[in-house]
Amino acid sequence: MSSTPRISRRALAAPALGLTATLLFSGCANVGGGSGGSGGSSDSGGGASVDYPTGPITLVVGFSAGGSTDTGARLMATALEEKLGTSFTVVNKPGANSQLAYTELTQSEPDGYTMSTINFPSAIMTVIDESRGATYTREDFAPVALQVIDPTAIAVAPDSDIETPEDLIAAAEAAPGELRATTTGVASNEHFALAMLEKATGAKIAPVHFADGASAATTAFLGGNTELLLANISDLQSLQESGELRIIGVMDEERSDFVPDVPTFAEAGIDVSLSSSRGYAFPAGTPDEVITTVSDAMGEVMATPEFEEKMTQQGLAPAYKDSEEYAEYWTETQALFEELYPLVREAK
Amino acid sequence: MDTLPALMDGFAAALSPHNLLFALIGCILGTILGLLPGIGSTAGMAILIPLTMAMDPAGAIIMLAAIFYGGAYGGTITSVLLNIPGEGESAITAIDGCEMTKRGRAGVALTTAGIGSFIGGTTATIGLVVAAEPLARLGLRVGPPEFFSLVLIGLALLVGLVGRSVLKGMISAAIGLLIAMVGIDPVAGLPRFTFGQAHFFDGISYIPVLVGIFGLGELLASAGGASARPKAPSLRELIPSRADFRRSAPTIARGTAIGGIIGLIPGVSSAISSLLAYSAERKISKHGKEFGKGAIEGVAAPETANNAHSNASFVPLFTLGIPASPAIAVLMGAFLQNGLTPGPRLFVEAPDLVWTVIASLFVGNLLLLVLNVPLVGVWTRILAIPYSVLRAIIFAFIVIGSYAVNNSVIDIYVMVFFGVVGFVFRQVNVPVAPLVLTLILGPFIESALRESLQISQGDFGIFLDRPLSLVFLIIAAAILLASILGAGLKRRAELPVDAEV
Repeated sequence: MSSTPRISRRALAAPALGLTATLLFSGCANVGGGSGGSGGSSDSGGGASVDYPTGPITLVVGFSAGGSTDTGARLMATALEEKLGTSFTVVNKPGANSQLAYTELTQSEPDGYTMSTINFPSAIMTVIDESRGATYTREDFAPVALQVIDPTAIAVAPDSDIETPEDLIAAAEAAPGELRATTTGVASNEHFALAMLEKATGAKIAPVHFADGASAATTAFLGGNTELLLANISDLQSLQESGELRIIGVMDEERSDFVPDVPTFAEAGIDVSLSSSRGYAFPAGTPDEVITTVSDAMGEVMATPEFEEKMTQQGLAPAYKDSEEYAEYWTETQALFEELYPLVREAK
Repeated sequence: MDTLPALMDGFAAALSPHNLLFALIGCILGTILGLLPGIGSTAGMAILIPLTMAMDPAGAIIMLAAIFYGGAYGGTITSVLLNIPGEGESAITAIDGCEMTKRGRAGVALTTAGIGSFIGGTTATIGLVVAAEPLARLGLRVGPPEFFSLVLIGLALLVGLVGRSVLKGMISAAIGLLIAMVGIDPVAGLPRFTFGQAHFFDGISYIPVLVGIFGLGELLASAGGASARPKAPSLRELIPSRADFRRSAPTIARGTAIGGIIGLIPGVSSAISSLLAYSAERKISKHGKEFGKGAIEGVAAPETANNAHSNASFVPLFTLGIPASPAIAVLMGAFLQNGLTPGPRLFVEAPDLVWTVIASLFVGNLLLLVLNVPLVGVWTRILAIPYSVLRAIIFAFIVIGSYAVNNSVIDIYVMVFFGVVGFVFRQVNVPVAPLVLTLILGPFIESALRESLQISQGDFGIFLDRPLSLVFLIIAAAILLASILGAGLKRRAELPVDAEV
């Protein structure tokens, strides 16, 4: 009978292991290991000699681990650790389309040690949509830098008659409200894209909202349930390559590097341009020197070919904007969405 | 056809010592991650991806895939032994699994779950090898209208779940549906029953609800002495008897079919597979009346189905490049990171890798079986921990687990609230199975219905016009009719209908 206590000690270790796993994998997932090493190169940019950073920086991510926002953020955090010579703690705070993360960010100390991922349109939509009762406004954020811009694009089945943006408008005019398009929910990027299209050309296209996300929308489209699939270009690229669909147009000023053969709507004379984008912000009131330091560090990281390659592999289109350009882009985009918002609300 | 030699090459690579080691590490890591509610294997995989950068692609993907299905097994262990369902897919397992534990049959339950998972997973992987392309097309045939009708079958089976008192069963089902209503309306885009809390915009996460009702409810009940205290089984009691095997064999076959088919539909959670397998089994099995009292079928069905589902969900990934679930999406990230785009061209571009990964799915499933069946003895020793100590550990587990779902304290309050609900349910003998069913199915029913009506521009005829949808509707109607007639006959014969889940 002497073996029983031995085994039960091992059994006791099991829950203990589980606990260790939580600590490791949930809250404080410390990206990468060493915080020391090649730290000295942080005094780039502004030249102002603020002693920053002196401790670990928390990066709040408004989506679950493993999503594309999280992937991009973890890539950036790992690269910044080396650049800034400090450690980053990535904390996933998913829920309510990042509203929980934004609330946490804007209520945190503006000392440069709490940063959050910022997604468009969610950072703008949660503010505009009064029913969401957000406790913050645009002024509560101090933009740091933009990392990713992913334009919205429209795709059709490979055997569809619609081949160009012009064809799409013509088809929509011939049968108003008959064409159906996927969105990833009310007031999502795709929903706004339809509103913009209607505003620019008068084309009426019926939205089908897949609040469960892009995967459900793609499945329904591939199963022939809708004529049009609206999605980020990075999600469509591989499906086009495998011949499952055909992208007819990109909603951007310039063609996408992911699909250089596909024309833009602007080329067809239809002025619609819409992207989902991902960047970073501190809470308002963070010292300018701190913002500049991090903003410049991100710019340097993104200028390296290795980092660009890592991002592209994950389907993240690199697009750096420094803190000032990002702030401007934020204001512009918010104005655009405020103008379109009534259209989205009416359309349902 | 050159599939077989390619697969054999894959096996040769997957069985190389270092790939085998990665699969082993993945299985163990996944099992440990799965032990804790709230920490899914998905989060674990996502966080480990950067660490796999230095590894070769095959090794990295093999390890991550092993974490993925190892996680499902870890969830089973806590469901069966401690009545804490770690993930939605093992929630329904907790009902009969924990009853079996109380009867000293924990070992049999875990062994059966292990064997069922192995068979389900392996069969689904064979499907991937022989008919990936047609199977993926089949999955795409299930659009929102078909899915709505399919889920109606699940609701029709609810009638079989309610047990002795239809009223109590319906109360339980209605509460589940009400919880499922919380969140932003999928079509109007406006918050519903959220108490103005942004936290509830995505709905109430079902992990804290389930952990509360099962785990905390059980703790409270046992503290009052109302619940039997599980004992650790002796070694002899770990091995399923011949009768156990005979009873679970057809269940495992049916679970494999249900999980394997539903797993082909991208975007459908494996919780649905395990729920449908459980409810269907309750209806079909000769031992349906024992469900809720520790029926071995009640463990075998959901566990087989969810593993078949997990493995079948690789089909849409490999053939179409669609990630069927969040966990598969993370795995897709691992492919992308290595410069490989999942989809049909993967078989052309990197056939060695694909076949190695597929072979490793077989190897991984086998490893889990080999690893876990002997380990069942170790796991069940958890029950040998003095109950006063164990209770404290369980409490810590469920609090941390609830927090970990969204890194949010509110989920702990939710868990405590539903712990009290679970305690009251036990006191007044309200079954929890209908609640689990409607809680998990509710959001799927709603979004499928409303998406269908947007597709048909408001015409309900869409459910009858589509052949597949019509077939599902007829099955649902037949189940409902049979239940009503059956209940009428039973009442006339005055047979006791005493099964209570």
